Amino acid sequence: MTIALWLALTIAGAIGATVAAAFAAPPSAFAGALAVAFIGLAGAAGAAAIALHAPDDLTEPRSAHGPTYAPPLPDDGRVTRPVFGRMWFAALGAFAVLGLVPVISLARKPGRRADTGWRAGIRLVDENNRPIGREQLSDGGIETVFPAGNVDLPQAPAVLIRDGANYLAFSKVCTHAGCPVALYRHASRQLICPCHQSIFDVEHGAKNVSGPAPRPLPALPLGFDAEGYLIARGDFDAPVGPDDWDRVL
Amino acid sequence: MIVRRVVAWADERFGTNALLHTALKKIYPDHWSFYLGEFALYFFMVLVGTGIWLTFAFDAGSQGAYASVVQLASRDHPIGYVIRQIHHWAAVCFVAAILVHMGRIFFTGAFRRPRELNWMIGVTMLALASFTGFTGYSLPNDDLSGTGLRIAYSVALSIPLIGRWAAGVFNGGDDFPGSLLTTHLYTLHVYLLPVMIGALLAAHLGLLIYQKHTQFARDERNVVGRRFWPDYALRTLAALGATLAVLALLATFFEINPVGDYGLYRPWLVMNGAVPDWYAAFLEGALRLGPAAELRIAGHPIPPVFWPGLVLPTVAFVFLLAWPFIEARLTGDRAAHDVLDRPTRVPLRVGVGAALIFEGVLLTLAAGDDQTAATLHVRLETLVWVYRIALLVGPIVVGVVAARLAAEMRARAAGSPAPDVVLLVRNAHGGYDEEEPQAG
Repeated sequence: MTIALWLALTIAGAIGATVAAAFAAPPSAFAGALAVAFIGLAGAAGAAAIALHAPDDLTEPRSAHGPTYAPPLPDDGRVTRPVFGRMWFAALGAFAVLGLVPVISLARKPGRRADTGWRAGIRLVDENNRPIGREQLSDGGIETVFPAGNVDLPQAPAVLIRDGANYLAFSKVCTHAGCPVALYRHASRQLICPCHQSIFDVEHGAKNVSGPAPRPLPALPLGFDAEGYLIARGDFDAPVGPDDWDRVL
Repeated sequence: MIVRRVVAWADERFGTNALLHTALKKIYPDHWSFYLGEFALYFFMVLVGTGIWLTFAFDAGSQGAYASVVQLASRDHPIGYVIRQIHHWAAVCFVAAILVHMGRIFFTGAFRRPRELNWMIGVTMLALASFTGFTGYSLPNDDLSGTGLRIAYSVALSIPLIGRWAAGVFNGGDDFPGSLLTTHLYTLHVYLLPVMIGALLAAHLGLLIYQKHTQFARDERNVVGRRFWPDYALRTLAALGATLAVLALLATFFEINPVGDYGLYRPWLVMNGAVPDWYAAFLEGALRLGPAAELRIAGHPIPPVFWPGLVLPTVAFVFLLAWPFIEARLTGDRAAHDVLDRPTRVPLRVGVGAALIFEGVLLTLAAGDDQTAATLHVRLETLVWVYRIALLVGPIVVGVVAARLAAEMRARAAGSPAPDVVLLVRNAHGGYDEEEPQAG
């Protein structure tokens, strides 16, 4: 009887879910009806299992673990020379080496593009390619900047900070794991990476002062062009992003 | 009637009835904790089912991936939205169920001879499940998962000698994100990893049936329990229904990974308080607590992410794989066991298990250290140092205390009097008197 009630709940839930789908009901109605159907299923199976009153102390023998001491394979006496010599293993080894070839061929060693897009005279632009004027940022303001025309270069993003009358710019790619160093605390003049909380001291060349970053953020030398827009006076003063084995400094 | 005819049809051709009979009347030991692994199995089945559906809705090119997933969350696709929610919830629950199941196996000693291989298969599946989950939530190319991938790329890049090769194969290009990244993730997530899990799962269950389940009943020669049909079949059907119901309820009431809110991945954008799915959080925590020092070998850098990002999980994985053999060596117990231990019987195991849990929880907590510091009004730097010290000292303290507790509980269960118990009895003046504990 109880089982029938649970099964009725299952049927109601399944029909409800189908109707909800047919009438484009909100997702939660569909999911809720599914839940009702599954609760009914669980309830019915559970009630049935209890109603069985089946014994839980039935036994079945276990075989002992351990060596079975099988007799040797039959030998019909016609094999006169040993056929399983070392050369089989040598051949297997040769195939194993051959098997590495496709793996290695796949792993062409990519370079890491050193090009950041920054050169002397290039304007700083925001993500919509608009140049940054002398008075655009107020004191303590920050902006993510890119070299004009190269917004998509992954090595390019820099954080521009206005500190009093000065502008400072540092690579936005954290030297720890490559996250964007997106937070700036003007009171302490610190750039903070939200991924692993590396902290960089803006007043001292974005030196890594806390957290797991191994070296400062590369700095971008800045200037103004004739029209009063911010420009770079060269590339970052250090390689961008985390180091790797092949980046010998 | 139809079932009978189909069974007879098959039996006439393949002689399957004997096998069927054996399978249906097979006896399985019963205990609530034996269902934990089944939950993991059912979560995996849900993942495969919903996952197949999702492959038909997903655009696997890196250009259209994000839009195709956001589409699923829109009003035009209520069913797709629910299926994706259930898929993600099932992934999160799958890893959790594996871990809890593994805890049961660990603390009851079910991994001991002759089941070491099955333990190793299970540990491998845990690693594969986590990796599958990571590749899966990275597929939509949203800003949260893109940042996670960027970190994973940096970790791959940090491997000495082969860093660029490893990172390049994974990334498919010279810069991150490479043009083939989404395609590679798709291949891993949809074909390679699930097939590996499926194969290992078949081996896992095959060995379980062949070697027979362990039990708590004190009898090494018999399996004591319930028949598969109909008793156990109904119980496991109830477990399946409960699994599905939990997932449907989660999908009804709690939204998970709303990628539409995160926006498309842009290398220069990041969310504050971004953390990965829970099973990857310990790596995130390890990266936050890791050292800042960059070693150099003949000028070649070994970036700091190498230690917490790669060495730590590798060491943990190898340690777990080898645990049955380590324990056998330390305790000298190399005999075959079909009867499970009470969790307190081997203090060494309890100590090691407690220390491992402590490390895992601590590293996971460390993944949210910025939020914790803000909530508790402590300086983040202070909290990081507290975590670092706890990471090194904590497991020793926790392990020793847990092992001592286990030893004491074992002694008490064995009936020997606990050594330093003092009974305090309140006297008429309101003070306390010591009394000798009564025997028995």
